[in-house]
Amino acid sequence: MSQLDPTFDLPLAAPPTRVRGRVRVPGWVVLLLQNRKSRTGLVMVGFMVLIALIAPLISVAHPNDFNLLAARQAPSWQHLFGTTDQGSDIFSQVVLGARRSLLLGAAVAVLATGLAATLGVTAAYSGGVVDDVVNFVINVFLTIPAIPLLVVASSYLKNRSMWTMAVVLALVLWAFEARILRGQALQLKSRDFILAAKATGESTRRVVFAELMPNMISRIAAGFVLVFYIALLTDAGLEFLGLGDMTKTSWGVTLYWAQVNSTVLQGEWWPFFFPGAALAFTVLGLVLLLAGIDEVSNPRLRNERMPRRGLFRQLFGGRLATRAETSA
Amino acid sequence: MRWFARRLAFYVFAIWVALTINFLLPRLMPGDPVAGLLQHLSSSQLSANPGIVQEYQTLLGGGNHSIWQDYVTYLHRIAHFDFGISTSNYPTQVSEVVGRTLPYSLFLVGVAFLISFVLGTAIGMVAAWRRGRTVDNVVLPAFLALSAFPAFFTALLGLYVFGLKLHWFPIQHAYDSGIVPGFNWTFLSSAFRHAQLPILVIVGAYAGGWMLNMRTVMVNTIGEDYVLMAQAKGLRDRRVMTRYAARNAILPPLNGFAPLFASAIGGLVFIEFIFSYPGAGYTLQQAVLGNDYPLAQAILVVLSVCVIAANLIMDVLNLILDPRLRST
Repeated sequence: MSQLDPTFDLPLAAPPTRVRGRVRVPGWVVLLLQNRKSRTGLVMVGFMVLIALIAPLISVAHPNDFNLLAARQAPSWQHLFGTTDQGSDIFSQVVLGARRSLLLGAAVAVLATGLAATLGVTAAYSGGVVDDVVNFVINVFLTIPAIPLLVVASSYLKNRSMWTMAVVLALVLWAFEARILRGQALQLKSRDFILAAKATGESTRRVVFAELMPNMISRIAAGFVLVFYIALLTDAGLEFLGLGDMTKTSWGVTLYWAQVNSTVLQGEWWPFFFPGAALAFTVLGLVLLLAGIDEVSNPRLRNERMPRRGLFRQLFGGRLATRAETSA
Repeated sequence: MRWFARRLAFYVFAIWVALTINFLLPRLMPGDPVAGLLQHLSSSQLSANPGIVQEYQTLLGGGNHSIWQDYVTYLHRIAHFDFGISTSNYPTQVSEVVGRTLPYSLFLVGVAFLISFVLGTAIGMVAAWRRGRTVDNVVLPAFLALSAFPAFFTALLGLYVFGLKLHWFPIQHAYDSGIVPGFNWTFLSSAFRHAQLPILVIVGAYAGGWMLNMRTVMVNTIGEDYVLMAQAKGLRDRRVMTRYAARNAILPPLNGFAPLFASAIGGLVFIEFIFSYPGAGYTLQQAVLGNDYPLAQAILVVLSVCVIAANLIMDVLNLILDPRLRST
């Protein structure tokens, strides 16, 4: 390829993966799998999703069935994760709880990303009063502490079904993502291709959705993962405080009963450890995935010299996107 | 100074928005909060306070006044911090309950943030100065991994390991039972003992972000000419690190203080709940579960004001430390 060749390789373009007779793997998947952080994150999250999918096959039928004869048992082959003080099997609660927790996190992430991308990018592109108003709303949402607001809001809710909670969480958490996306769109809006689109008379809607957003896809994906894990943490946290649908099975609900029945104070570690560890595992996976997306999409981060040896160093060395100023 | 005036105007507005959300939430949600509230008072308690129903109706809605009339009365009462009687602490006024619990929370967060700041600055500094060495590769990543954990999981683990198994710290409440809170040595030393573990948990959960910010900024300042100049002058390594490179890197991470504080206020709800620590967060959780809406409303207002005050303090500090802001 000569210097004059007009078709140059974007730094993001993946190496060709043509394997005859097989489905072609999309480039972004290859990129994510090449990066050690996002690969590890994907494997961790994938594992949890798999567990959630096969949950009914590996759990008992009714995870909340109580059996006082088998109460307060430490982990054993009979009960891998032990039993609660009502004698329910914690392993079943954790694997079935993964379904509700993951689904809710994903639902919040979808809603919040939609809201954040539409509002943030449109505001940045339009500028003027629209941008001022949206930016102001974002800043107000970031200033009012999210958890206390959610605690008070959900206390008024009589119906705390999954979808209600998803909408409430998305309405509070979208601002974190909107700020990032607005910032990114502000940088892009004065690029030539946007100006060209504008000059040819494209409508605002088309420029936002067909020109700006496709070029911000890595940021939007990162925002999605960010809200996903914040939502997971926040929702589990609310349930842990007793503010969810306490009749359902989820990690937060199991944690709530562990706390309310003071199992920790009686020296029982398993009722809080396993649901908590499942949550921490998933969140860590998402954080690594987020860091991987950041590295893949931002070449400057990739250039920083990385230590060669040690899995721990490679995963957590360098820039790791931490909890972006919220969450439990 | 115009910058500061704008910030100030924003904070006033943000407080107003927080108050309005607080006013609208119980009115927008389905159900009748006042009825739920009155269930917690006996008929003799009700007859002893003739105006109490009306008082709650201005806070929570459901009366036969117009919403504007309610709103004006509501704002007027909040300006005097009059939230009526707390049903779960009958017959104590809400303001008194908040005044009793808030100092505990502020003490926890205040001390924890002071430690996080010192620790984060020091470790971030060393990590950047000696890139690829032990502090950079092990200590900082370990804190980052810890900060990706759900705060309530860290708290439960800390409670179990350090409190219950190793007996290093007391595990519940803010002071030993039988001690009357007051400004005397017995109470203060007991309160200090009981605060240690919660503070440790908050530091564990929030110091990582601080370190990372410090490291990132410091890596940039190390590349500056004046650092090279200092080294060329033959100054001792440690002096160049602290007086030249780190000194100019402390300011930007400080801007992360306010969002981190907002997030810690959220985390505090969980941490206080786990340690049964009688601060504002635990009180909020108890109030919400006991349908004590006036108390929950008051705590949300107070916590929002705290976060905004933290923002304001940071702005003033920035104004003092950074001459560039004063000229705009």
